[in-house]
Amino acid sequence: MEGHPLLGNYHNQPRVWDEMFDAAGIRPAYQQFVSSIQDLSVDEMTHKDELAKKLFMSQGITFTVYSSGEGIEKIFPFDIVPRILEAAEWKHIEAGIKQRLKALNIFLKDIYNQQFIINDGIVPAKLIYSCPNFVRQMVNVNVPFDIYTHISGIDLIRDHDGTYYVLEDNLRTPSGVSYMLENRSITYRIFPDLLPKNNVRSVKDYPDLLLKNLVALANRQKSDPTVVLLTPGIYNSAYFEHTTLARLMGIELVEGSDLVVDNHRVYMKTTTGLKQVDVIYRRVDDDFIDPLVFRPDSMLGVPGIYGAYRTGHVAIVNAMGNGVADDKAVYAFVPDMIRYYLNEEPILKNVPTYQLADPDNRKLVFKNMDQMVIKRTNESGGYGMLIGSAATEKEMKAFRVAIEEDPRSFIAQPIISLSSAPCYINGVLQPRRVDLRPYALYGPEGIDIVPGGLTRVALKEGSLVVNSSQGGGSKDTWVLASPNPSAGGA
Amino acid sequence: MRKNKLLNRKRSGGGYMLSRVADSVFWMARYMERTNGMLRILRTNYISSQDEVKDFSWQPLLLSHSDAPAEEVTSIGNNSAKVLQHLLFERNNGASVINNITRARENARAVQDHITKEVWQCLNDYYHLIRSKHIQSQLQQGDPVSALDALIHHGMLYHGTVDITMARGEAFNYLNIGKFLERAILTADMLNIKLTELNYNLQQPKEVPALRYLLYSLSGYELYLKTHRGNFQADHVLQQILYNNNFPHSVAYCLGQLFRYFQRLETESLPESYKQLEFLIGRAMNNVRYSSIRPSESEHLKEFLQQTRSELFNIAAAFNQYYFGNS
Repeated sequence: MEGHPLLGNYHNQPRVWDEMFDAAGIRPAYQQFVSSIQDLSVDEMTHKDELAKKLFMSQGITFTVYSSGEGIEKIFPFDIVPRILEAAEWKHIEAGIKQRLKALNIFLKDIYNQQFIINDGIVPAKLIYSCPNFVRQMVNVNVPFDIYTHISGIDLIRDHDGTYYVLEDNLRTPSGVSYMLENRSITYRIFPDLLPKNNVRSVKDYPDLLLKNLVALANRQKSDPTVVLLTPGIYNSAYFEHTTLARLMGIELVEGSDLVVDNHRVYMKTTTGLKQVDVIYRRVDDDFIDPLVFRPDSMLGVPGIYGAYRTGHVAIVNAMGNGVADDKAVYAFVPDMIRYYLNEEPILKNVPTYQLADPDNRKLVFKNMDQMVIKRTNESGGYGMLIGSAATEKEMKAFRVAIEEDPRSFIAQPIISLSSAPCYINGVLQPRRVDLRPYALYGPEGIDIVPGGLTRVALKEGSLVVNSSQGGGSKDTWVLASPNPSAGGA
Repeated sequence: MRKNKLLNRKRSGGGYMLSRVADSVFWMARYMERTNGMLRILRTNYISSQDEVKDFSWQPLLLSHSDAPAEEVTSIGNNSAKVLQHLLFERNNGASVINNITRARENARAVQDHITKEVWQCLNDYYHLIRSKHIQSQLQQGDPVSALDALIHHGMLYHGTVDITMARGEAFNYLNIGKFLERAILTADMLNIKLTELNYNLQQPKEVPALRYLLYSLSGYELYLKTHRGNFQADHVLQQILYNNNFPHSVAYCLGQLFRYFQRLETESLPESYKQLEFLIGRAMNNVRYSSIRPSESEHLKEFLQQTRSELFNIAAAFNQYYFGNS
C-alpha cells in the first residue's frame, strides 16, 4: 500500500471502524476495487471527480434553494469512492430489516385497532397517547392488506467494533432513493467496467417493484388502475426525486390542486375531464394532506382525501399515522415488539435509548451529558439534536431547561462513533463518517429490499451528522453478489 | 383501422393528461419559440447596427421586448452592448431571453414525466449555457454574433431533440400547438414593428433595407431570393410573410400547422371544448387565407394585422379556458 499515490496517506482513526481498512490492510470487499484504482494518478482521480459533478449538473440532478428571487442550483454532494458491502453482511442486514418491518407493521395495525400490546403491558398507554404523531383519525381504519409501511428507509450505523445498529426506521415518507439510482448511473460513467468486474448487484429493479406493489393496492376491479405520485410541487427540495420516480414508473405526477374529491372518490383534472384515481403514492406529510382533517392552512393537500381513504375508495402510500412508530421514544420498544409479536430475538440492534420522562434516566443523563446524544422525539433530518461531546456549556444548559419543561419530548442515547469510509476530498483519500439507508418495499407478497441503498457521508472532518440538510453528501453503495473472488489470493 | 387507432391511443397514454401538465407543456413550447425568435431578431439587428444602415435605432425593439420603465430603456440608447445585455441577460426585464429560458425550464421541470429525459436535459443545459460566464463575456468583450449563434444552435438542438425523442402523443401535440401559435404571433408582431418603423408607408421610391432584415430575422431571405430572383418588392415580401405555405414562418403556414396538431386532439377532447377551438382556429385561418393585402392600402394592412393578432390571442385564451381549466 505504501508508494501508491492514493492510499499511502490514508490514516485510520482510533476506535472507529473503517469500511475499507482493518489493522491488517484492505478488507476483502474492497480488494478488487482498490487494485483497479490504486495506480491512478491524482489528476485522473480529480478528473473523475469533476466529471461526476458535471454529469449531476447537466442531468439536472439538483435541488434548488430558494432564498431570494431566482433559486440557487445545488447538487447533493457525491463522493466517487463507492461504499462496498459483502454478500454475507448484506444477508444479515436484509434479514434484520425484514424482521423489524414485520414487527413494526403489526405494531401499527395493533395500535390503531385492538391495542393488545398496551393491554399486555409491553408499551405504556401514556407513551402512545402523548405522541403527537399518533393520529386518532386512523383508529379502526382498515388499510388494504393491513400494510402500513409500504416504503421505508432504515438508517443503519456501525459502532467501533463493526456492529450494525438501527438508528431510525423512517416509516413516513423517506427520501433519497433516487440518489441510490442516480449515484449508480454516475458510477458506471466514471469507473467503466468496475461494476461487472466486482460482481455488484443491480439496484435498477426498485421502480418496477414499487409499481407492482402500488398497482396491487387498487380496490377497483380494473386491469389498469390509475396510480399517481402526489408531490408538494417544484419548490420541494426532493422534487427531483418525485419526477424521477414518476418517470421511472410511468405514472402521473400530480400536485394537490390537480386532485378533487367527490362522493369519497378522488379524481384528477385532465384535458378530458375528471379521471378517478385508485392509488396515491404521496410525498406530502400527514399534517398537510387533508386541510379538512389535519392542518387547515395547508395548500399542498386535497380536501376530503382522508374520507376517501377511510372509506376505501383510494389507497394511500404510506398509510397515515405511521409517525407514531417513528417516535424516538417508541423506537426504544422495537426490540420488545419483535419479541412480543414474532417471538424472535432481534437480529439488528437498537441503539440503547433513555426516555427522559423517567426521572432516574434524567438524572443519569444529566450527569453524563458529554457522552450522550440528546434528541427530540419527533424531529428528523438532524434537527433538534445535541451531541454532548461537541456541545458548549450554554447549549447543554438550554437543553436541560427544555428537557425539564417537557421530558416526554426528549430521549438520550450514548454516542455511537459511526464507521468511516474513504472519501476523495481535495485530491486526497480521507476518512469520513458514514451511515447506510437501504430501502424496503412492503407489498402484499412480502418485503423486498433492493440490494444497495444510500450511503450518506458527513463531509466535515470529524462530524457525526450525515443529514443532507446539515452538509452531508452521499456515495454509491455496492452490494457484492458473492464473496470477492480475489479475496483469498491477495 | 379503428382498432389500430385505439391501440395507438392507449400506447401514447392518451386521455390521461392533467390540465396543469397540458398548460405547462404549451407554455414551455411558447417560451422556447419566443426565445428562438428573439435571438434571431437580435442577431439580425446587431449585424444591421454594424452595417450600412446610417440611422439604425434599437428603440423600437427595446420598446417591444422589454418591460422595463421607459426612462430606463431610453437611457440604454443605442449602445449595442448595453442593448444586448438588457434584452438577453437582464433579470429585471421580464421579457429577456434569460427569463424566457428560465420559464421554459421551470415549466419543463414541472412536467418532467411527460417530456423525455433528453428534452429535459437539453432545456436544463440551455439554462446553464445562458448563465455561463463564457457566453456573457463573449457578448461583452468578444464577438456578440458568436455568442448569439451558440444560443441559437442550442435552440435548434432542442427542436431536434423534441422531434427525435418525443412520443407522438398528447404532449407532442400541445408542444406543437404552443410552438406554432407563438410563431404566428411573433411573425405578426415583427411585421408590425417593421411596418411601424416605416409608418406603414411601403410606396417608397427606393428599396427599403428594413424589409430585407425582416426576412433575415424570419429565416426567409434565401427562399425569397430563390422565388423572386433578386427582384425586391415590398408586395412580394408581404405575400411571403403572410401567405406562403412553403415558408415555415408565414402566418398561413403557422395557422395550418396549428390546426393540424389541434385536430389530433379530437379523440382526447371534450366535444364541447373541441368545437369552441375548432371554430376559432378555423375562422383565423380563413380570415388570413381569404384576405388580399396590397402594400398600397396601408390602413387596411394595419387593421388586418391587428385583427389577426387579436384572433391569435383569442385562441390562446380559449385553450386556457377549455383545455387547461383556468377560467
